[in-house]
Amino acid sequence: MNILRYKHIPRRTFLRGCGAALSLPFLDLMQGRGAKISAPKRVAFFYTPNGVAQKAWHPKSVGDNFALSPTLKPLEPVRKNISLFTNLDRIKVPGTDGHAQAGACYLSTAAPDDLSPAGYPLKRTIDQVIADTVGKLTPFRSLELSCNSFTDNRESVYFDNISWYGHGHVARSIKDPQKVFRRLFNIKDHQDNASVLDLVRADAKDLQGSLGRMDLHKLEEYLDSVRTVEQQIERITRRQIDVNDLGIEEPEKLWTTMRRDEYIQVMGDLMVLALQTDLTRVSSMMVAPERWDTPLMFEDVFEKPILHHGWTHSQKDQKVLRELEKLDYFHMTQFSRICQKMNAIKEGESTLLDNMLFTYGSGLSSGMLHECTNLPTVIAGSAGGQIITNRHYQHAKGTPIANLWVSIAKAMGCPIDQIGDSTGVLKGFTV
Amino acid sequence: MKFFIYIAAVCILGQGATQAIERFDYHVVRKQPATATLEIYEGEFLSVDGKARPQDMRGFGKGWSGNSHLLWDGLVGDSSKVEFEVMKAGKYAVSIQWTMAPDYGQFEVRLNGNLIERKLDLFSPRVDLAKLNKPIVLELQAGIQRMDIKLVSGNVKAKKFRSTGYLYGLDYIKLRDLTPKVARAKELKETAPIIIPEVDFVEAQAIMKQHCFRCHGVDKVKGKINLEVLTSRADVLKQVDLARHAMEVLAKAEMPPEDELQPAKAERVKLASFFNGVIDEYLSVSTRLEPVVMRRLNRYEYSNAVRDLLELRGDIYPLPEKVIRSSEYFDPSTGRMPKAVSVGNRTLGKFQVERQILSGVDPFAIDLQAEHGFNNQGEQLSIPPILLESLLKLGRSIVSAPEFDDYTALSDTLFKEDDQPVVHRLRPFLEKAFRSPVEDKTLARYAAYYSAEQKRTGSHTMAMKSLVGAVLASPKFIYVAEAKHGAGDKTQASDYELAQRLALFLWSSIPDEQLLDSARKSELHQPEILERHVRRMLNDRRSRALAENFARQWLRLDQLITAVPDFDRFQVYYSRIGCEQWKFGLQTMIEPLLLFESVQVEDRSIMLFVDSNYTYRSDELHAWYTKPNAPFGKRGNRSRFNTFTQTFRKRHLSTRREGGLMTTAAILTMTATPLRTSPIKRGAWVATVMFNDPPPPPPDVIPEIEADDAEIEAQGLTIRERLKQHATDQTCASCHARIDPLGFVLESFDPIGRWRENYRGGRDIDTSGKLFGEMEFSDIEDFKDLILDQPEKFMRAFTEHLLSYALGRDLKITDKPAVDRITRRVQADHGRFSTVVVEIAKSIPFRHKTGQAERK
Repeated sequence: MNILRYKHIPRRTFLRGCGAALSLPFLDLMQGRGAKISAPKRVAFFYTPNGVAQKAWHPKSVGDNFALSPTLKPLEPVRKNISLFTNLDRIKVPGTDGHAQAGACYLSTAAPDDLSPAGYPLKRTIDQVIADTVGKLTPFRSLELSCNSFTDNRESVYFDNISWYGHGHVARSIKDPQKVFRRLFNIKDHQDNASVLDLVRADAKDLQGSLGRMDLHKLEEYLDSVRTVEQQIERITRRQIDVNDLGIEEPEKLWTTMRRDEYIQVMGDLMVLALQTDLTRVSSMMVAPERWDTPLMFEDVFEKPILHHGWTHSQKDQKVLRELEKLDYFHMTQFSRICQKMNAIKEGESTLLDNMLFTYGSGLSSGMLHECTNLPTVIAGSAGGQIITNRHYQHAKGTPIANLWVSIAKAMGCPIDQIGDSTGVLKGFTV
Repeated sequence: MKFFIYIAAVCILGQGATQAIERFDYHVVRKQPATATLEIYEGEFLSVDGKARPQDMRGFGKGWSGNSHLLWDGLVGDSSKVEFEVMKAGKYAVSIQWTMAPDYGQFEVRLNGNLIERKLDLFSPRVDLAKLNKPIVLELQAGIQRMDIKLVSGNVKAKKFRSTGYLYGLDYIKLRDLTPKVARAKELKETAPIIIPEVDFVEAQAIMKQHCFRCHGVDKVKGKINLEVLTSRADVLKQVDLARHAMEVLAKAEMPPEDELQPAKAERVKLASFFNGVIDEYLSVSTRLEPVVMRRLNRYEYSNAVRDLLELRGDIYPLPEKVIRSSEYFDPSTGRMPKAVSVGNRTLGKFQVERQILSGVDPFAIDLQAEHGFNNQGEQLSIPPILLESLLKLGRSIVSAPEFDDYTALSDTLFKEDDQPVVHRLRPFLEKAFRSPVEDKTLARYAAYYSAEQKRTGSHTMAMKSLVGAVLASPKFIYVAEAKHGAGDKTQASDYELAQRLALFLWSSIPDEQLLDSARKSELHQPEILERHVRRMLNDRRSRALAENFARQWLRLDQLITAVPDFDRFQVYYSRIGCEQWKFGLQTMIEPLLLFESVQVEDRSIMLFVDSNYTYRSDELHAWYTKPNAPFGKRGNRSRFNTFTQTFRKRHLSTRREGGLMTTAAILTMTATPLRTSPIKRGAWVATVMFNDPPPPPPDVIPEIEADDAEIEAQGLTIRERLKQHATDQTCASCHARIDPLGFVLESFDPIGRWRENYRGGRDIDTSGKLFGEMEFSDIEDFKDLILDQPEKFMRAFTEHLLSYALGRDLKITDKPAVDRITRRVQADHGRFSTVVVEIAKSIPFRHKTGQAERK
């Protein structure tokens, strides 16, 4: 179940040998070498911008084996592995742009009183909070990906990133698959960085004495990054996974020339690969940035480039609504394909997907009025059986989505009790 | 950027409106170049008909101007026509530089029909420049001049070209203006600060009671604004932001809304003056400037800084931030832009790297702009681990690129093996890299690193390269750090800090030796020395950064890159050469940038951004505007497209519909949607860019307008009428009343910026409206006149944009006194570009820093 099987996508566009790697599960490989490892739990996020067309998205039935709605239909092949959470809300932050906060505040649900000078409450997001714990065990604490192929700089950084280390400190995503690949597998690149770290750290310490308080905060980002880079080098050297071992090759095709589905699936492959090989246990992917009123081509879905954001505001028009539903269906299909790839990877008795908590979501429910109630939320996988899957969990109206973040963190073994406006954990989780 | 449109409006109101003022011609403002009376028209850039083409002459020697000439061939009896444009009528001495060669012919040459050469013989046994002929004195009218060059025969000694005909080569045409110069008296009188009469609270309250309380009072609190609770001047003083807001909406006549009872003009002025008085009182005690967060260099600055630190002869990598990929023509020290420039455009493909770059060097990801600002604000420039990885790798890959040794001027100094103690070379290098005096412990640390590397590699050069790689990732290089420990509300920046600020502002780079020298002598803060440096820096080619970095972002030009006018309806936007399809329309991006550069290089008035009587266009682009239906004829210009460079020629504009920035195709296209214009987007662009008054973000409820104007026209409506339906809702109306007219005035330009007389369905176009709720205009020419008649508005807006860029932060109310002062001086100098820059550099906010201790 990988990208190579899909029609329209020329063979060998990307990750040559990827199929082979997937048929040789990493854990088996490690176990074959005598190491004794139990499958780790992993967490990932799949973010779709601008909300979804509500009616076609939400299923009518609840509980076990619920009937999939039209938009959720692509999940049929993995329906036994998914669960649906409805009536989850995010706090709306007044006075800031509806879309920027949808992206930048989704995973932190930072409260309105945390307004930054830029107007966006940028707290440490849940993926980074989880990485503080589980990221200690892998070469990369987390991996942020984005399928934003726009080449203009129309929107600001808040529209383009869902993962933040904290205020003003973005966990910037990588958009070029080749760069992702090299970062994951080119060990020498990392090792070459080692020699100057002491020198630049000493320079940073020199600066500390003369700076103001806000400046010191900025400098702390630098020092954090020096520490992270140092740990990465140490851990990746210890792991010594290299490209030859896995028998895969770097992507050849230029990302800017890829079809939309191809681009998303290539990024999905890289995410799967990084999680499968335990290079990281935390990952997020923005399937497109928020708003960004630039027409975008979806090959074989629409004939001409389309404006997703513009459509969301005119979905009262039935014609537009149908188109929007097609687009949501397309994104759900992409999510499902990645889930299927994860499910095809055996990890002992289970699969990679079983050991995941892979959330599909958006910071807006309907884009029409920038609503933040009943956010579309699907979770694939159960982190080793911590959720009963194939079930639609309908929560009380107004349940904070922050409760989901706390539940996910706990399921990942991360000892937090609170984030944003959370009030507890969600039913459905066995934690 | 926060925006305040202030006193000007009050004054206009006070003066009692828009009586016809004799308009100042802003075109007379310009630098007096050393060779003011000489015009050179390069042969290779002349507008030609038929077979003539440019030829690179470097293979034949060094004498050819611009290293090229215009080459033509034909049979005896054939003629060729070349054209050039003269800006003003007068008496000129014309001389022509020809090329001679063994296969060149004999020609009859006429200029505007006048015979100037009966039988010009261009035969010569070897390829050479002809002797420059004696100038011919002619009266020329302004506009296109036509030269006909007819091949009449061949010298008996001449060899026939391809055994059939002969050639000519034309290097340049030189014009000397013989009209005597009228000495113009220099008028530089700063307008006195405007004295606004004091208005007391009781009087103001009475006006508010009559006109404001009904919606902004105890009974009804629209927009969360309640003016009735203010019971004394002291109350207002506590809410200075409210006062500012009130002042703005009164100045722009946005309040009371149009459908409410309007106050008499005198009342409006009084009320505005009251709020202004409160703001002034606030500013007389609160002078704390907004603190700036330490930021890192952005990608563009990093590239320039590395180039200047390592004295590279080109860029390290191709930057998409650079729209125009040619720089040789840009030389502000000459005080003149060439008549024609050959420019590469980044959109034309991968060949568009103007100079050599270093192989294996990979730029880090682009930095996005702030919401309403520039990409140099600390808030959004952070260093996550992946960026640190990129920086570490970048530093290494630059010094180890195979071309590096030939690319840097430091091969014979810093990197050279010799017996000099290494610290002697390290200290000045580190001082330049870190823009500050080098402490001994830092020097010792780098010297130790060097020694270790020297031992490891056994080579000075290798060790030094490794050290340089480390320097490029050091926080002292990457961050724009200033000593803020113990700084107060307004502490003078140190001389080194000032040098760094100037270099970033004008060059997007690090200080050069001369700036550092002034910093070392602690003299840079002295106003006259500071000004001398600013003027010197503006005359340096590195000031190109203002066009490349500031202008591009100010105009938000990047948005054009992904504009997609409908493929079927706007075929001209897309062209095809061979099998390669590209967006011809992206060429339009060059036009506004060249206008900006011409104002900068020739030190003209910034009012030319509102209206100019010239522009720069390629022949193809000119045809796009002037022949919208068949711009390329049968094949015509289209066969001449190339993906390397385009020749952009300065063109005199005969209609005032064109000229300035607002009506360029680039801006009109990027603010349209694929199938129709969008007066809202265009209006928002004008409000943001031209008046620095960005509209608030749209509300959550946005009914979308039909995407295709055909659908709107099918309802029997124009886009304007359709928007009117849309804006009837009260909550939308007050914003739309403000934004839409600024877009309606541009309705006479279609979605890709071409003039149109009617809508496609035949409906008339209504471009009329009111500017600032007061001044009526009927079309774009009127609209420009209104802006020119009150130049203060645009001058203030431009000042605010550039000051925000210079400071790397949004402006706050405490910057108002500085903005007021700069604007007054700019206005006194009729908007001269260098005056804006010099006054910003000398302003209080630019020369001071603020401590950060009080922040939570």
